[in-house]
This record gives sequence, structure tokens and C-alpha cells, in this order.
Amino acid sequence: MKTPVPVLRLPRGPDHPDSRGFDPSSPRFQALRSTRGGAAAAAAGLPELREEQQARSLLRQRYLRSLLAMRDAQVRFRMYERVHVEARFGASDIDVLNFQVSDLQTPIGVQKEALLRCPDMISYSLEL
Amino acid sequence: CRQRLLTMAMRQTPLTCSGHTRPVVDLAFSGITPYGYFLISACKDGKPMLRQGDTGDWIGTFLGHKGAVWGATLNKEATKAATAAADFTAKVWDAVTGDETLTLAHKHIVKTVHFTQDSIYLLTGGNDKVLRVFDLSKPEADPQEFTGHTSAIKKALWCNSDKQILSAADDKTVRLWDRNTMEVLKTLSFDVSVSSMEYIPDGEILVITYGKTIAFYNALSLELIKTVDAPASIHSASLHPEKDFFVAGGDDFKLYKYDYSTKEELESYKGHFGPVHCVRFSPDGELYASGSEDGTLRLWQTAVGKTYGLWKCVLPEELVSENSDTLYCNTPEIKA
Repeated sequence: MKTPVPVLRLPRGPDHPDSRGFDPSSPRFQALRSTRGGAAAAAAGLPELREEQQARSLLRQRYLRSLLAMRDAQVRFRMYERVHVEARFGASDIDVLNFQVSDLQTPIGVQKEALLRCPDMISYSLEL
Repeated sequence: CRQRLLTMAMRQTPLTCSGHTRPVVDLAFSGITPYGYFLISACKDGKPMLRQGDTGDWIGTFLGHKGAVWGATLNKEATKAATAAADFTAKVWDAVTGDETLTLAHKHIVKTVHFTQDSIYLLTGGNDKVLRVFDLSKPEADPQEFTGHTSAIKKALWCNSDKQILSAADDKTVRLWDRNTMEVLKTLSFDVSVSSMEYIPDGEILVITYGKTIAFYNALSLELIKTVDAPASIHSASLHPEKDFFVAGGDDFKLYKYDYSTKEELESYKGHFGPVHCVRFSPDGELYASGSEDGTLRLWQTAVGKTYGLWKCVLPEELVSENSDTLYCNTPEIKA
């Protein structure tokens, strides 16, 4: 009877299903960071980076507020495969992967409650 | 020698890499870098993953594709990755940060991607039957297009110091193209579609699988060197860098290891719960990785029992010892 080869541990998997990884504190990331097409960024220095980060924060905040403002509004969604639907917006999940909507008007009837997948959307519009 | 004694006494413990939620259809290793070597896996869940090659530890997931990823590759230095997907795009990624650097639109499902040695050009192929060469330093420029295949392209590779291109398609041919004149230099025809192709630059060997056959060709002349038949339909095979072994896997869920010179089947392993779609030796030949319909990647030792990566060599005394707190004995999978 052969003995199975012992292992120190099992390979590590992703922290959670939608995790992105690429730990910025890893030695490889740190060492190669300066050559990351950001030879420009490195040369440009900190102020540009800070400005960009500020702009990103502002835009992100604006987007999150837009989601709040959308609550109970009638929203028209343009999806792939030339699908257009309209529904009353309820909420988004934390990763903005799904939108919870009510009274979703579809070509095959009205769905009282539904979950729309954000990756399926091309755009959406509403009137505030 | 000691290694052979160990191998005789020890049973292979494959390391299972989980994380994918759908079949793993392609995998590729980088070259050996100062940080080790890396492995990328293409999966029908649309989320290709980068792993440390010798341990299988997950490093990151390339997020962005909107469909199944059919092909994935890394450049030699593991600084860039490229993926081919069912969303009609090929994407180029920064393999250090995980950022998407380029999206290359196609007219149909993209199946295969391959970098030149200098990482400047990317070869793509897919269901629109056209091979394309993109200059990554001029992403807006139109790609060079190679037409000729009459069915979907499954695999395309640079060969002969990136002067030539090898492509395998569902039209049951493998074609060798001149990169500059864009002509087909040679064509190999088969009775069935080729299931996989691997190119070994050092030695100019081409490994092709079709049906139950693993065939080895001279990559320059496309002359047949030898063929080996396996017990089941083979989806992928890989030749060891030192050309002493090759491994293959396919429909019967098993991995087979053969002696390249004698064609003798040396070892076979159960473990996967679905057909094996891809198998590749690591650049140092110490392990081989397999991807399966069961959604997992498994790492297998070439020399069973050797200390390498997460596998720990066991000295003869320890074989009988109960004292192994630092060692984790992986209980083997329940055989179906």
C-alpha cells in the first residue's frame, strides 16, 4: 500500500468569489510597479496622482448619490440583444452587479419583482 | 537512486486549485522569472485566473470579459496576459496589477491568443476563421489578417523565432504560415479535428493531439516524428522540457504519463471528475497542470515524492513515523 505524498498545505484560492486579487503589497508588484506604463505616473509624481484620485472619489460619490436618487423612479434599461425594458428602480447591491426593480415591463408581461444583472445592461436612463 | 525508491513507495498527491465555477478549458505557463513562474487558466465562467506556478496559489482574477474565456496566455516574463473570449474580444492585461490594458474587438468568438517572444505582437484566432496579428504598440492600427482556414480556428502559435505561424482549425488541417509573405507554407490534413497543439521551441517539436493519438512533428518541416495511441480520446498533451516524458489527458478523466523515447505508458492518474481539457508541463518540468470540465486545475508531480512547491519529501524513517505535525497528509479523493 503506497503512502500518499504529504503536502505542506493546499493551494490558496481566491478570498471570495468576485475577488480581484493582485495584492499591491506583494514583492513582485512593488518591484515592477515603477515600470507599469506608469513610468509616466512615476515621472509625473504625486500631485497628478492625488488629483486623479480626487476626481475618481468625486465621480464615485456622484454615482452612488445617483443610485440613491433613482429610488422609486421609472427607469428605462437598454440591454444586450436589443432588449429595452422599463421598471421602477429599488436598489443596487454593494458591488453594483444587480439592480432590484419592481413592475418590470417586459414583452411577455409585467414582472412584479425582479433582479436585473448589471453586466447585461448597456445603459439606463430616467428623469429626475 | 533515492528518488526512484521514493517514487516507488509514494502515491501521487495532486494539488487541487479551486476558484473557478465552470470548466477550465485552457491553461498556460509563463517562463521562469525572478519571482518564480506563473500559470493562467481560461474558464467558461469568464474569469481567467493567475496563479503562482509552483504552488497553485491564486494571485488574482482578470475581471472584464462578458463571456466564456476560451484561451489564455502569458508572456515569458509574466508581465502581460492575453485572453480570448466568447464576447468576441481578445484582451491584453497587465499581469502584475491585473488591469485590463487593451480590448481587441473581433467579429466572432475568439479562441486562441499568443504573444511573440518580445511581447509586442499578439496572434489571435477564432470562429471567424481568420488569424490576426495585432501590433500592441499601435493598438488602433488594423491587424494583419491571414485568411485560408475554412472552419473555426482552435489554436494558433508563433514558431520558428516568431517568423512563422502555426494554426489548427476545425477544417481538420494544421497550417504553417510565413508571417511576412502571409502564405501557407505547409498544410497537414487529418481525418478528424485536431484537439490541441503545443510548440516546443527548443528542439522545434510540435505536439498535436487528435482522436486517441498524440503525434510529434518537426515544427519546421512538419515531418512526423512519431505517434502514440492512448486508451481514450485525448484533448491535450504536453512534452517535458527535457523531452524524456510527455503527459496527456482527455475523455476518461485520467492523466497519462509516457516515456517519450520508448512510448511506454509509465503512470496514469485518476483524480478529475470530468474530462481533462488541457495539460501543460511547467517551464522547469517539475510539475504538470491539468484543467478539467470539473472546474478545477490540478498540479501533478513529475517525480512523485520529491520535495517541490507544496509537496514535502519524506525520508524513509518518516514513512513509518506517526510524528508529522508539520505535514498535512492529503487524503486521496474517493474513487468513483
